[in-house]
Amino acid sequence: MSALQKALKKGMTSCLSCHQLVILPANGGHCRCPRCGASVHGRIDGSLMLTWALTITGALLLLPANILPIMSAIYLGAGEPSTIISGVMQLYNSGMWGIALIVFVASIAVPVMKLLGLILLLVQIQLRLHFVPTQAMKIYRVVSGIGRWSLLDLFMISILAALVDMGFIAQVAAGPGSTAFASVVVITMLAARSFDPRLIWDAHDGDLYATAVEPETAHRSAAENG
Amino acid sequence: MDQLRNKKPIPWQRACHECDLLLTGGLAPPGQKLVCPRCRCTLHRNGNHSVYYTIALSLTGLLLFIPSASLPLLRFSLFSFGADNTLLNGVYSLYKAGFIWLASLVLFCSVLAPLGKFLLLLFICCGSAWKFLDRAVAFTVRWYQHIKEWGMLDVYMLGILVALIKLRDLGKMDVEPGLYCFGAMMLVANLSSLSFDQNAIWQRMALRRALREAAL
Repeated sequence: MSALQKALKKGMTSCLSCHQLVILPANGGHCRCPRCGASVHGRIDGSLMLTWALTITGALLLLPANILPIMSAIYLGAGEPSTIISGVMQLYNSGMWGIALIVFVASIAVPVMKLLGLILLLVQIQLRLHFVPTQAMKIYRVVSGIGRWSLLDLFMISILAALVDMGFIAQVAAGPGSTAFASVVVITMLAARSFDPRLIWDAHDGDLYATAVEPETAHRSAAENG
Repeated sequence: MDQLRNKKPIPWQRACHECDLLLTGGLAPPGQKLVCPRCRCTLHRNGNHSVYYTIALSLTGLLLFIPSASLPLLRFSLFSFGADNTLLNGVYSLYKAGFIWLASLVLFCSVLAPLGKFLLLLFICCGSAWKFLDRAVAFTVRWYQHIKEWGMLDVYMLGILVALIKLRDLGKMDVEPGLYCFGAMMLVANLSSLSFDQNAIWQRMALRRALREAAL
């Protein structure tokens, strides 16, 4: 028997909330964690399906988020609504390329890379492609770690809207694109949460969709081991 | 029934929550961290005096929250007009313009979630000292895990810096005292979530249970 053993094969799993090792009930269902009371499943219920649904929703919402104006700045009666990309170009043209880069990374590169990363992970798992699990884990960690920085643009709009509110002289207002963009950020964050990284290892080991073994066997083999 | 089964002795102590690898080592020694040998994810970081540090930091954070929410963060003036930005009036101006979803998202991520994190951490760390709060503390730890990633003070701080630079050549930008409090609160928020170690709480509760059973 190899040294690396999976908890699910022994009829056990780790509680995702408090990381307590829990023995799953015999019928393969879910139970409550005895320590923190969270609902414990062998793998997140319907993880792939839910992640696909949220990823596709996010990708569709990315279109209105980039096409519709995200905010409009009016200065002395002049000014026009700007989209995410035109806002970045404006910053770049006025010589603030550092800030332009930050805004570009946070509001264009990050959402697109997150969606691409999730699609890559899902396709790799579902088509059982040959992949290196440690690299897939790196993608997963980047995807779940960077998502929050996309909200930068929205925070900036709320700050500008409060600061620049002087009637016809100067005014900054949010545009319809910002609602779509906010939804993209929230939905991709939820998608990264609903993705279960343990499926990467299941697909790698070739036992995707395996069910938990009976806890009786688990106890017997636990007794053999210890 | 399930609880009884979980009490049977098993040689395994922990399964990696990211790759499901069974491990025999449960906790990291003090001051070190436990890393999954297969997927390299951090399983447990055992900081020194986690509970007391977290109490101190979350109290500091709550105190800092009062000035940073009430004092203005930035001031922008153009000709003779001027306007302040506080944590809440940006949300209010979005709400007034009809962007309710956007306003509530900004409110949640920049005010409610950070405040909630401080309050929950304080409750978890203080409440774990009493037996009658065991269930409430377990429930709170679960909720803390849910709202943990939605507190985005650091992102908001970057948003302030971008706004500061963007408006610099349009009018006059002033940094107000609230911003210093906000920066300190951001730092304390990150430190408190770093120093919080839920295993210390579970150990504290288990130790008390063991002492009580020994006394009976």
